[in-house]
Amino acid sequence: MGSDSDSQTKLHDDMELRARIDRSLRHPVMFFFASGAAWLAVALILGFISSYQSHDTRFLSGVGFLNYGRVYPAHLNVLIYGWGCQAAFGLIVWLMARLSRKECTCPGVILTAGHIWNFGVLAGMLGILWGYGSGKPWMEFPSAIWPLFLVSYFFITVWSFIQFRCSEPGKTYVAQWYLLAALFWFPWVYLTAHLFVFVFNGHPVMAAGVNAWFKYALIFLFFTPVALGTSYYLAPKVTGRPVYSYPLALFGFWALAIIGPWAGMQKLAGGPLPQFMPYVGAAATVLILIPALAVGVNILMTLRGHESQVVASPSLRFTIAGIASFLILGLVGMGLNTPAALKMTQFSLTGYGFEILAIYGFFSMCAFGGIYFIVPRVTRREWLSRRFIGWHFWLTIYGIATVVVCSIMGGLFHGAAQEAYNSAWQDAAKISYAYTVGTTVAWGFILFGSLFFLLHLLLMWARLGRRSQHPTLLQGEHHGESPHGPEDDLDKLHTAEA
Amino acid sequence: MDRRTIWINFILRKPDPMTFKAFILALALSFGVPWLLIIVVPYGKMRNLEAVHFEMDSDGRDEVYVPRRSGRITTGSAVYGANGCYVCHTQLIRASYAGSELGRPDWAGFRIKDENGVTINTARETTPYDYVGESFAHVGIMRVGPDLSNVAGRIRGYLEDPLTKADTPENWLYLHLYNSSLKTRTFNNVTGCPSQAHLFEERVVRGQGSPEAVPGISKEGVEILPTGDARALVSYLLSLRKDDAVPYSINYSREKKKAE
Ligand code: HEC
Repeated sequence: MGSDSDSQTKLHDDMELRARIDRSLRHPVMFFFASGAAWLAVALILGFISSYQSHDTRFLSGVGFLNYGRVYPAHLNVLIYGWGCQAAFGLIVWLMARLSRKECTCPGVILTAGHIWNFGVLAGMLGILWGYGSGKPWMEFPSAIWPLFLVSYFFITVWSFIQFRCSEPGKTYVAQWYLLAALFWFPWVYLTAHLFVFVFNGHPVMAAGVNAWFKYALIFLFFTPVALGTSYYLAPKVTGRPVYSYPLALFGFWALAIIGPWAGMQKLAGGPLPQFMPYVGAAATVLILIPALAVGVNILMTLRGHESQVVASPSLRFTIAGIASFLILGLVGMGLNTPAALKMTQFSLTGYGFEILAIYGFFSMCAFGGIYFIVPRVTRREWLSRRFIGWHFWLTIYGIATVVVCSIMGGLFHGAAQEAYNSAWQDAAKISYAYTVGTTVAWGFILFGSLFFLLHLLLMWARLGRRSQHPTLLQGEHHGESPHGPEDDLDKLHTAEA
Repeated sequence: MDRRTIWINFILRKPDPMTFKAFILALALSFGVPWLLIIVVPYGKMRNLEAVHFEMDSDGRDEVYVPRRSGRITTGSAVYGANGCYVCHTQLIRASYAGSELGRPDWAGFRIKDENGVTINTARETTPYDYVGESFAHVGIMRVGPDLSNVAGRIRGYLEDPLTKADTPENWLYLHLYNSSLKTRTFNNVTGCPSQAHLFEERVVRGQGSPEAVPGISKEGVEILPTGDARALVSYLLSLRKDDAVPYSINYSREKKKAE
């Protein structure tokens, strides 16, 4: 009897602690998710416009600030810094607090820093559209913005690090390795790239090389670890079983850490810089398949036998889609970066397809999974409509698949025609037409889908969600047992395992 | 405990200060090595590129190679960046192992007659000296439009076409930027070069009209004047000609020959 009531009180304390953590983080986390989703909508509108202009340059051409050469960079930068980074911040802040079992003591500071970040995105976007863009891919925001971002990044994430260091010794989760690594890599990558490109006075080709490296470093060393950390949290948590294999998880993690930092310079293959650099970049991108396989197998094996939960749980569905995209990213990265293919893909539409696959197909899908899990917990309300979630899912899946297939296929044909140096250049230019039309339609779908998401999220933030004990599922009636798994499962299982 | 459990326990345990340090150290190492090898060291090396020389036995003369380029390169390059020309245009002639643009007519260089009337091909790949004066090499993202490494040379060729409405390279470019379907030498259709009309000013013609106005744009009583940005951009574009003779040691063109 005695021990039974002991564990009862322990369970109760546990629940209390989790509730306190969630309450302390409600505003920062919801702020990041909601403003991220709003920027996502902006990025998608800009993506739609720029894609439309790529097959009809007269579209909106009377409006100077909506010129293709400005809309396209604005689209990607808003997608990365407005949506991607902010979604990542929300995930990092919440997951690290929960996994370290520490309340957040300064939500106000995080919130303020978050406002600064948003101001930076707004100023940056207007800067690009008004013709003050810097002209360096993925760093187009006017150069006054990046120090601001760095400072606000520091005040957003430093607490997660402190929480981790102050937490009771015992266990670290796989998710924590990834999130800690992301916290560690982001400032190093971001600062390096901006110092070498904007501040130091180096060789112009090397500045372009650092810029090319920055893109891939941001994908592989920030968006990838955050997405994987989230998946490594959700898969065991929702199914209530431990990660399939820890050695495999460890291997996947270090494989990413060792391979990731080399990628990127293949953009300058054949250019006037030391030849080994583009080669190493291409090789590293080919090898990303290794961590992708390790993670893919591990997560999918963790979910094996829980198919019905995968189908029913919004979080798991998005997570699976994200992990599948990561595997595809690994395969595509391998295919596109072999020396023969690189000739054709280096300057064709393919690069865009690869970036969208990484940021949207992979990272964003995993982030959506996390958001569908976290928001009901911090708002203490359940999602309103399974139909909204379903539409968001299917419109996004079809849309992203179309964008990626069109850009990559179209890009390959485009690239092959460019390489045929005896035929007229015009032939190459005409080939991509149909594919760019396809991309435009797909952005329309994705935009539509994510408007459902944004609306749903805002309703939740306004605390208009359902008051219920039962999570919103995509299928079936509500069972007695939550498909999100009992709250303390993960911890118990880890203790059992360790 | 068997070895596997010890190993797993080691991994799983929250690192005490020591193993947390090891974790961070391993991260720093796995990131720091590539960071040094592909960023810091090459950056430092390329910053102080040594001057290259023409040499007697391979080039037939003995002097330092000085890349020649003039025009408003710094401002023009910034305007080029701010208007996203690099999204659709590249500025890189790749070595032949990495791409085939050395073979594409008028991209990497031109067939010209030298002083003895012999046709030579000036095509060569891009060298590190070709971006002199710029702080960032606009290598470019996609090739929706043609590579611009040698665009200045191509435009001189277009002017020889009797149907061309422009008399000077500058005016050809102004017409092109204002509305690329106005000039004759073009394959323009809806997917051409987007209009940059925001780089121009419209003004009611007073008296004779401004000598600065772009000729060839017919609009009732209105003249089109390039803004400062447009001038800088055009001056920059006209500095894009990267087919000068370079020392044998950095020339990788297909038809390169040693001087006799
Ligand atoms: C949507 C992609 C796109 C953007 C952005 C773009 N261009 Fe173009 N550009 C093209 C295409 C396609 C052509 C070839 C068709 C034509 O001549 O109109 C072209 C042709 C040109 C040419 C003529 C090249 C030749 O040899 O015939 C010049 C010069 C040029 N662009 C300059 C610019 C400048 C400067 C900018 C930035 C303000 C720019 N372009 C932005 C697509 C683009």
